[in-house]
Amino acid sequence: MNYIVKDLMVPISEYATVPVGATLFEAVLALEEAQLNFDRSKYQHRAILVMDDNNHVVGKLSQLNVLHALGADVDNREIKTIRQLDRFGFTPQFISAMEARRRFAGRSLKDICASPAAMKVERFMKATTPGEYVDENTTLESVIPQFVYGAHLSLLVTGNDEIVGILRLSDVFAAVFHAMEECHHEAAGAPSTDKPSGETG
Amino acid sequence: MKELQRLLDRLIQRANINLREINYDATPVIQNLVPLSQMDKFYAFYGISNHHPLDLQFQHANLAGSYFLGKCRVASSLVYKSDVRGDELKKKGDLFKFQKFEIPITRDEGIDIEDSFLVKTLVHNFSHDPESLEWFFIKDTISTHYANIHGSPCDGCFLGPFATVDLTTLRDCIIGAFSYVQAGEISHMSIKPGTIWVRSPGAFNFFYQYDRSRLEKYISYTTGSAPTGIFMEVAEACKEDFQNIFDRVHIEHPVAVPETASVDRYALVKGGTHISDNVLVAQRAFLDNAWMGKGANAQENCYIVNSRLEGNNVTAHGAKILDAELGKNVFVGFNSFLNGRPDTKLKIGEGCIIMPHTIIDAETPLAIPDGHLAWGMITGPADIKTNTIPIKEFAAVSDHFSMGDLFFEGSGRAFVEAFEHRIQHILEANGAFCDGTCSLGHAQFNQKISFNTLQPYSEGDLKGLFPTITIRP
Repeated sequence: MNYIVKDLMVPISEYATVPVGATLFEAVLALEEAQLNFDRSKYQHRAILVMDDNNHVVGKLSQLNVLHALGADVDNREIKTIRQLDRFGFTPQFISAMEARRRFAGRSLKDICASPAAMKVERFMKATTPGEYVDENTTLESVIPQFVYGAHLSLLVTGNDEIVGILRLSDVFAAVFHAMEECHHEAAGAPSTDKPSGETG
Repeated sequence: MKELQRLLDRLIQRANINLREINYDATPVIQNLVPLSQMDKFYAFYGISNHHPLDLQFQHANLAGSYFLGKCRVASSLVYKSDVRGDELKKKGDLFKFQKFEIPITRDEGIDIEDSFLVKTLVHNFSHDPESLEWFFIKDTISTHYANIHGSPCDGCFLGPFATVDLTTLRDCIIGAFSYVQAGEISHMSIKPGTIWVRSPGAFNFFYQYDRSRLEKYISYTTGSAPTGIFMEVAEACKEDFQNIFDRVHIEHPVAVPETASVDRYALVKGGTHISDNVLVAQRAFLDNAWMGKGANAQENCYIVNSRLEGNNVTAHGAKILDAELGKNVFVGFNSFLNGRPDTKLKIGEGCIIMPHTIIDAETPLAIPDGHLAWGMITGPADIKTNTIPIKEFAAVSDHFSMGDLFFEGSGRAFVEAFEHRIQHILEANGAFCDGTCSLGHAQFNQKISFNTLQPYSEGDLKGLFPTITIRP
């Protein structure tokens, strides 16, 4: 089966969104709520869109962004120094060990989560970049390199100059996996299913 | 002065082209670095001796107040009150060892300064770049007050005041004020002021960054204005005394200098100073009531005042030692600032290694015990706990270590051995172990250097430019 982007995207109306100015905790609640209302996939939503007053997407808050926020109450000069060490040739193991020691040592998970929950999403979201947009009529084959070379977990889908949905890496992977299955079954002479696995859960 | 202005405009353009990718505008920096009216006020000078090569070429350049020794070429550049010391360059026939390679040197190495603007900068040592062994280049580079370019070819770089690049090749980099970088090879990096970074890939990585709010008292630099702070006040305090030294033809220092020691004709030495055997005092060093033990040295822009150095002490380029007592074999790294008080001397124990760009400002009586490594900012006893460690203990670090603002990854032993090996080499090169006939070094070779002077055009379009000159034996 040949797919185009709008076959696989999650419509914007089904995605978790929060306005600029929302707290991190409100964003996490929005994600949970969107997940409850969205049951067509076994894959979970992994990001929250941040919208401005004109309902335009201005940023994305990923799970990693949320983890990054933990312990932000001790985001002092020391932590900023540690976070630049990768530029100076220190290994990821060293940097993560230093950050764990300086930021989290001796604190409970509850304590670590308390302060960031009240902080604004703008502080941690990633602003959207030109390489994160794709037209809804783009073919799946054309959009795959955009994921690979941009290392994106999702892309914003446009239609008539509006954001109409989100194309998730998980759904693209499901379609690719489905195509692989088809190839395998055809080679073995067996019948195949007709839907990508992302749509079957 | 038309040509000089044209040259300045060219240097601004070259710097901006090279640093455009890191969004650096060199225009206000270069325009205000040194007034062009200063450029025709000072002569340049060069040394000749039987112990150093003589191969100097100057073309379309201003060299006001600068010193040259060895094999150097300067073209389309402004070199203001700088020292370009080519007495450690590689010679034809030498063998350079790098990793598993042994690379023969096919011709005498030369320092090559082109399209660059150096202000009160020291250029010394030799290129450690295995890809450029006979050519120690400084190209399209701006270097500001009291920076050190030590064994570090630079292309398209900006060095802030009191910055040091050491044994590193740099391309298109900005090195912030009072930063020290020894990292092999770097490109397109912007290093914040007060960053101390010593890296040997695969062996160790040492990183310390000053708290800017504490550092500003010592050195503060805003683009477009002159650097300020205690470092500048101390460095410029003897400006007039030094000018006297440069203005006079015959200089006799008011101290006895043993036959095995050398006090440069352009050093400033005041009374109460004692010079022991094998001592080396370089040009632009300042000694006042300083006791220099056997084999101690004071390199360019070092100030040693009301202090006692017991012997075999290395005081690297730009270090200041005021009201302090240093035991034997103490190493004080580049641009370090050791500031005791007349009534409470700062004491540094035997065998200590004071890392480059360390500030020890003793607001209360302070003593660093024997055999310690010290780094960063130390102003009181609490800082001694977070910024010093016994060298033996540091050598036992096998994986990683952090204390205060210091982050270290790799082998502590490799780090300590690298420093100890280098200190030994410096002492040898300076002639600290000379027994009269063997182990001769700079302290002995520099005794018989003669100096010649060069003057710029004094009027017309070429005012401030030095004529094209080639100087050979």
